[in-house]
Amino acid sequence: MSTVLHEHYEVKPDDFANAGKASSAIKEQLKSLGLSPAVLRRVAVATYECEINLIIHANGGTIDMDIEEDGTIRLVFQDTGPGIADLEKAMTPGFSTASEKARAMGFGAGMGLPNIKRVSDTFDIQSSEEGTRIELTFVES
Amino acid sequence: MKKPKSVVTYTLSHCVKCMKCIQACPVSALRMEESRIHVNHDRCINCAKCISTCHSKGLLAQGSTLHDLENYDYTICMIPPALTCTCTSKEEAEELYYAILQLGFDEVVDTSDVYGQALNETLHMSDEFANTSVISSFCPVVNRLIESKYPMLLDNLAPINYPSEAAAMHLRETHQEKGNVGIFNLVECEAKLELAKYPYGNMQYETDHALAIVDVLPEIRKHLKTGRLEETFCLEGLQSCNANMVIAKPEYLIADGLDKVTNILDMAEFDMLNDFQLLYLFACFNGCTGGHLLFGNSYSYRNNVYPLTKENKKPVSELSFEKIYSDSMTITSEDQRSFKEKMDFFKKVNEQLEQLPGYDCSACGLQTCRIMAEEIALGHKKITDCQILKAARGDKDES
Repeated sequence: MSTVLHEHYEVKPDDFANAGKASSAIKEQLKSLGLSPAVLRRVAVATYECEINLIIHANGGTIDMDIEEDGTIRLVFQDTGPGIADLEKAMTPGFSTASEKARAMGFGAGMGLPNIKRVSDTFDIQSSEEGTRIELTFVES
Repeated sequence: MKKPKSVVTYTLSHCVKCMKCIQACPVSALRMEESRIHVNHDRCINCAKCISTCHSKGLLAQGSTLHDLENYDYTICMIPPALTCTCTSKEEAEELYYAILQLGFDEVVDTSDVYGQALNETLHMSDEFANTSVISSFCPVVNRLIESKYPMLLDNLAPINYPSEAAAMHLRETHQEKGNVGIFNLVECEAKLELAKYPYGNMQYETDHALAIVDVLPEIRKHLKTGRLEETFCLEGLQSCNANMVIAKPEYLIADGLDKVTNILDMAEFDMLNDFQLLYLFACFNGCTGGHLLFGNSYSYRNNVYPLTKENKKPVSELSFEKIYSDSMTITSEDQRSFKEKMDFFKKVNEQLEQLPGYDCSACGLQTCRIMAEEIALGHKKITDCQILKAARGDKDES
């Protein structure tokens, strides 16, 4: 399957000032494509959540978006952070390891990963001490 | 579905071709072609940013005139709560209503009770829906903005009819024996000019004509202090049009001004505002009392709400469900293209975008490089129309 558009974004560690900028750029791209509102909403919510995770938990990272010919949106979030110690726990709604700083800013309610999984069509997460990689796909229904 | 009709018109004579209006438009509806500004009526949301940005008064919003009264057997003028709020006392408001009657209407009607009912219904609805925010639907600019730029949020819009339309529907019913009834709405903003005839971009309408308040104000002033029309006003209705007076509750997010509204809608798309039951949004500063077609100091108008309703408050109206609710709110302009067509176009646009400088300078007459790229992809423009690239090439030719 050939890629129509590839976009790469860098998310810097502790860059709270620019939190959400990459997600906004991705959202605007997909709006101009003319994606249906239902899919757009799911992509927006998941992307934002993942971007915030990169800042809060992972010392930054990268976001790669591929839009494929058949309309599949593939998003890869890659970081070199500490990794997720207990993936099963992390996928449990309400479980959170966010810092006080992050919580004070309204982040870290423990709904992140469960939410991302809920809104995406495929969800793959790999985590080790070298970092975490999340791959999401969304399909235009 | 019939698309909304923009009320913005352009007069060439004053234009200095500064492109400020093109850059100010939140929905990229303006362009310059052959030294003329063109308004894309399908895109325009009637926010009037272009009108207020223009220094040379080259852009105008046109409403009906008092001459239109002649076409009817019986004429009714509806007064919006925003206009009533400009009066500092009940007596002053009664003088204003009397002066408006002298313009030649058979009847002048306060509509604050209907606005109050619509507000109560909106609040009630937001209490019922948990885990998602209801967006108020009083402001036509906000509604159109959501339709064109935030389609993800269309489902959140409260399906409440415009109060002026609900009131007009009621008046038409109760005045059937009067023959050919003309219902006029005095309006405080450009977007509400459009509500007569095109309330939801369709042809179903109850209001026959909209008159800009500033247009009739000189005539009204001639009749001030000549008499009084006894009237009472509805507190909730006066509150509903005033961003500083809508009931304050931690669960309600009330915002005025297009920039703030845009910021909120951007956040709502990321599900960041789900803690709020209600997003109550006005495109104008201070709410409808800050409408461009209303003369005066909108910061002080909020102080008039209580004096106007201190004694003899009017209760909210009890119009039927069919009048207050509207299912037209959910209609949206469907993109008829197939997915492959969208994809191919998107690809072409992005290819063109790579060639363009990305300054969004509007020198070509279009708002942004993305719009230029779209126009090139559609075959309407050529890459050589880009003024920046042209200048760069020109430099090379000369050397």
